[in-house]
Amino acid sequence: MTLRNFGMALACATSVGGPALAHPHVFIDTTFEVIFDTTGQAEALRISWTYDEFYSLTYLAENGFDPDFDEVLTPEEQARLSGFDMGWDADFPGDTYALAGQRPLGLSRPEATSAAYRDGKITSTHLRRLSGPVAPQAEDLVVQVYDPSFYTAYRIAATPVLTGAPAGCTVQVLVPDPEAANAILLAAMDEMAGSADVEAAFPAIGSAYAEEARISCKTE
Amino acid sequence: MQDRIDAPSLRLLALAGLGVAAAIAALWAMGQLDPFAVWARAQQREVQSALAGGVRAVRAGHPGAWAGLMTVCFSYGFLHAAGPGHGKAVIAGYGMARRVRLVPLAGLALAASMAQAAFAVALVYAGVWALGWSRERVEGLAETTFLPLSYGMVAAVGLWLVWRGLRGAARARHGGAGEGDHAHAHAHAGDEDCGCGHAHGPTARQVAAVTSVRDAALLVVAIALRPCSGALFLLVVTYAMGIGLAGVAGTFAMGFGTALVTVATAGLAFWAREGALVTLPGAGMAQALPLIEVAVGALIAATSLVLLLPLI
Repeated sequence: MTLRNFGMALACATSVGGPALAHPHVFIDTTFEVIFDTTGQAEALRISWTYDEFYSLTYLAENGFDPDFDEVLTPEEQARLSGFDMGWDADFPGDTYALAGQRPLGLSRPEATSAAYRDGKITSTHLRRLSGPVAPQAEDLVVQVYDPSFYTAYRIAATPVLTGAPAGCTVQVLVPDPEAANAILLAAMDEMAGSADVEAAFPAIGSAYAEEARISCKTE
Repeated sequence: MQDRIDAPSLRLLALAGLGVAAAIAALWAMGQLDPFAVWARAQQREVQSALAGGVRAVRAGHPGAWAGLMTVCFSYGFLHAAGPGHGKAVIAGYGMARRVRLVPLAGLALAASMAQAAFAVALVYAGVWALGWSRERVEGLAETTFLPLSYGMVAAVGLWLVWRGLRGAARARHGGAGEGDHAHAHAHAGDEDCGCGHAHGPTARQVAAVTSVRDAALLVVAIALRPCSGALFLLVVTYAMGIGLAGVAGTFAMGFGTALVTVATAGLAFWAREGALVTLPGAGMAQALPLIEVAVGALIAATSLVLLLPLI
């Protein structure tokens, strides 16, 4: 074990129940819709993010929205808000991850974006297409939500909706088991011991702490 | 009990500190503290709404709104500190490594939290108010410039402990050569219980020194340079809403909430360290202290360098 790996293990070991070198300052309740094509294969995700009240207030105030602070935006302000969180850097993966079983799937850049301010919270939506159609009969379609840096904490706030799914498809939301996640982290640390670059491989661990939805369809 | 362990009952009390620290470590290792982490995370989520409500109430001029906001900010500081963090690691490490008395150590923890709040205020008002920067830019500066600086200073604290520990170990081996006033130290091995007024231990000089101004300054600045993003948010939103003073006061309330945790950490570090030392009376302690200092210093330095390297 190199000093660097030792230190990284130490840094992880000193965190309780998560990759908590950082702790979150923005909290997002996410919901999403899995859209199936006419052949019964999943083709896109419509993702909704509801920001916590404090982030929402801060964003609006610092950007000059709602100057009378009555918590109501004018139609012009609503229009200006749309897409406020969609100016992604080219390398930003978008905090939503799709997998077929264990295999990561590509997701398009966000389309059809919207944003609205209601009850003190900003909610934005965007659509992301899967790189190819996925048939959840063979393997589960897994959707995970997390920020690898843990600056933002995501929570799946409602059971995802399956739109146009064939009969026999079910969805299950799983919350992380801290103990299991820690075990995965330690196993990964062992595996990486001696390898050159811990950081490069490190973000993958974030998924162990992520909430995820599993969509599976029975073959009739 | 602050300077030395005199009576058997105090000895037992000190020993209990080692037990408590070991028990907490064991509980953590077995994952038994995870429910607490989960609880803290859930509370962090809840307090976001309370914070927004508190800021709005102050803006609207509701009676009692200030007190409400300060209470929420205090809770925020406590909840975000109730987990591992560099400030607590530095205070605990220093408290384990040096034979600092309890009150100065706790004072150091409090001062560091207050300095952290003051630094957040200075950063936001210099950036947003004086230079017209956006919050993202201020946060970026905190991440790219001050975070590595903070880790670097923590590493310096670690290396400083290692160096002093090595020097102390050499001195202990040579019977305190060059430290004339305590060269007789080893002769008193075993009579720690005599309760006879003045301090004999070879650590007396270290104890008397308590903590140099230099140590304190380095520790406080190392911790302060890493402001909490929550404080930056609060300062920015209150400035934008024309209630900047409430944000500044709230930031210090967050600092007091954080201090609650760091001061408790200081207390536990002190307690555990005295417990560890009580198992090593007399000459054993003379030799162990510098070694503990070297080990803890190396641990602090290694951890912070690992965190620092990817950032530079």
